[in-house]
Amino acid sequence: MTRRYIATLLLLLGLSAAIAPAAIAADLTDVGFIDQSALGSLPAFVAANQQLATYKEQLNGQFAAAMRNAKSDADKQRISLQFQQEYSDKQNELVGPLYQRTQLAIANVSSAHKLSVVVDKRIVIYGGQDITSDVISAVRSAAAIPQPQASPPPSAIGFVDQSALANSADVKTASSQLQTFQQQQQPIYAKRFKDATGDVAKQQVMADYNKAVQDEQNKLLKPLVDQTKNATASVARSKSLLLVVDRADVVFGGTDITQDVQNALNK
Amino acid sequence: MSRMHSTNRARAALAGWILGAAVLCGCSHVDVHSNAVRGVAYIRVDDAIKHHPLYPQLEQLNNAIAAINFEAALPRAPLTPAQIAAQTKDLNAQLQAAQSRANAIIGTKQQQYAQQEHDAQVAAVKAAGIDPAAAGLGQVMNATSAQQAQQAAAAAQQGYAAYQQGVIAQDNAAMRSVAQQLSKAADDKFRARAEQYQQNESDLSLKLAQENSAQRMALRTQLNTLSLSADQRKSVNDQLAALDKKESDQMGALRSADAQALGAYRKQLAAQTSSQIRAQQTAIQTQTGAKLAQRRDAVGAQLRGLGAPPVPTVSLPPNLRQQLGQIHQQYASKFQADAQQAVEEYQATKSDLDAQFAALHGQGTTATGAAAVQLRNLQKRQGQLQTQIQDQIQREAVRLAKQMGFSLVLDDVQAANGGYDLTNDLIHDLESQHE
Repeated sequence: MTRRYIATLLLLLGLSAAIAPAAIAADLTDVGFIDQSALGSLPAFVAANQQLATYKEQLNGQFAAAMRNAKSDADKQRISLQFQQEYSDKQNELVGPLYQRTQLAIANVSSAHKLSVVVDKRIVIYGGQDITSDVISAVRSAAAIPQPQASPPPSAIGFVDQSALANSADVKTASSQLQTFQQQQQPIYAKRFKDATGDVAKQQVMADYNKAVQDEQNKLLKPLVDQTKNATASVARSKSLLLVVDRADVVFGGTDITQDVQNALNK
Repeated sequence: MSRMHSTNRARAALAGWILGAAVLCGCSHVDVHSNAVRGVAYIRVDDAIKHHPLYPQLEQLNNAIAAINFEAALPRAPLTPAQIAAQTKDLNAQLQAAQSRANAIIGTKQQQYAQQEHDAQVAAVKAAGIDPAAAGLGQVMNATSAQQAQQAAAAAQQGYAAYQQGVIAQDNAAMRSVAQQLSKAADDKFRARAEQYQQNESDLSLKLAQENSAQRMALRTQLNTLSLSADQRKSVNDQLAALDKKESDQMGALRSADAQALGAYRKQLAAQTSSQIRAQQTAIQTQTGAKLAQRRDAVGAQLRGLGAPPVPTVSLPPNLRQQLGQIHQQYASKFQADAQQAVEEYQATKSDLDAQFAALHGQGTTATGAAAVQLRNLQKRQGQLQTQIQDQIQREAVRLAKQMGFSLVLDDVQAANGGYDLTNDLIHDLESQHE
């Protein structure tokens, strides 16, 4: 009997030993997040954005006047590019230094917390390390922020630039076909809409229209989306990444696999 | 017996441990801490929302909003310049009424809070045993603080600048629209006249052909006679050619007269249209000037009515000065909140009127009037419902994550090579709660 107890106890201890160290070693703890909207509410950012908005208003007036005097399409294109450049220069002048200071602050705080990646708060449902207040304190302090001593360690979280992938010829063609489909459907549903009497009937027309567009979208774009997802998952496997998120949600660190995914899709 | 008991106890202990481990892990079907999961889960929140019991209501609201927007974007029958002018006048009257309403509210609140502030400060000064007049608290209007007066002046100037910009932009659009409509009307008239001339020419051509048909037929019949000599054949051909020439000359004369008349008509229409456009533009510009002058006078009167700040003749004790400052702050904040609300209400009315104005000139694609009010209500309800659904999903996801032992749960994952997809557990959880 005693032997059985001891055997059982040993088995339990063995099981516990097998599970517990793995649990401690394997869990991902180097993921941080930041509330970018809180950063955007800092007085320095608000003031810079207000100045930029005022400048944009002035520029809009000048742009409209210049476009009125344009003599050809080439002229219009040149004017558009010129004003875009002017706006971009002003943006760099007003917001650029603040943005750089914030990036430095994030890099330093991440390094201090030993984080491999910092994502935007809006994609975090639970867990992760919130570094928002530390970054805000660093940005607001009068002191200069030093360059971080080391680059972020390799991360199990990867990211892809969805906007770059959406620029592929196939996606553009499918999007254009979908747009044409919508343009063709609109007058048909507009007529049905005009004929419909009462809110319920009109809402039903809208539901039918949305379904028709959704079905066409599934037909045209979904195969491409699935293809991209599969390629992304395959690259993630080859690089031993756990999850892949959109570049727009990554604030710092992470592993960029955009080029690998593009290569996989072009094969 | 005892051995059997011991065995049972051991089995029970083992089962209990496994059960306990399972409970601690939160579930039996996922090894949260394995190398493939590493304590990380993800949720497809968009899919979870679609399975939420309140989603049908959300979808219904989305369809109702889409229906209003769709209807607003549908093409409308063009209006005549007279209709545009009448509706523009109506919209401007509504805008003017909204401005007067906002100004009246701000003016009343200013007076009311100035009176209350004055009374409170007089009471405080009297309680300190000081004559209110000596403390600079004389007439109630004088009690309106310099700061409040400055705020009101700045707001009035800002409001005037915005009004000026809005009126000029609207009147420019009205002038463009009137010019377009008048040019289109002239084009229509010209086209109608040209069609009329064309019809006359066709009628004449038919009439001539009918008149000469018998003669032409007789001549052609003669030409078919084989016994006709060369001279006789030439004579018949000449007669036919003369007949054709006579018809052609008559037609040519009419066409030439018509072309001349059309040219003159085009000139006449162009002159008339230019004159009408100039007249309309002058009228609109006069209206613009009058509207701006009226508004400028109103702002001027408002600013003149603010009065000068009070001048105290005795020095007040620091604690009383602090108390008076607090009273002022209290009423200034109340005034600012009320003024802000009045301005926001005015801005909402103005943006709706702007949208109606754009629609009037064929540029609008947003709902206006009653539809805009309905749209705002629906959007408000949609926002509330969306927040309610998302909050519940967030709460349930956090509860599940804690229960199952995850250390990180993400949304909006593009691809997964590991981690655990918590979406189905969440959907099951949400659905079971509402069963």
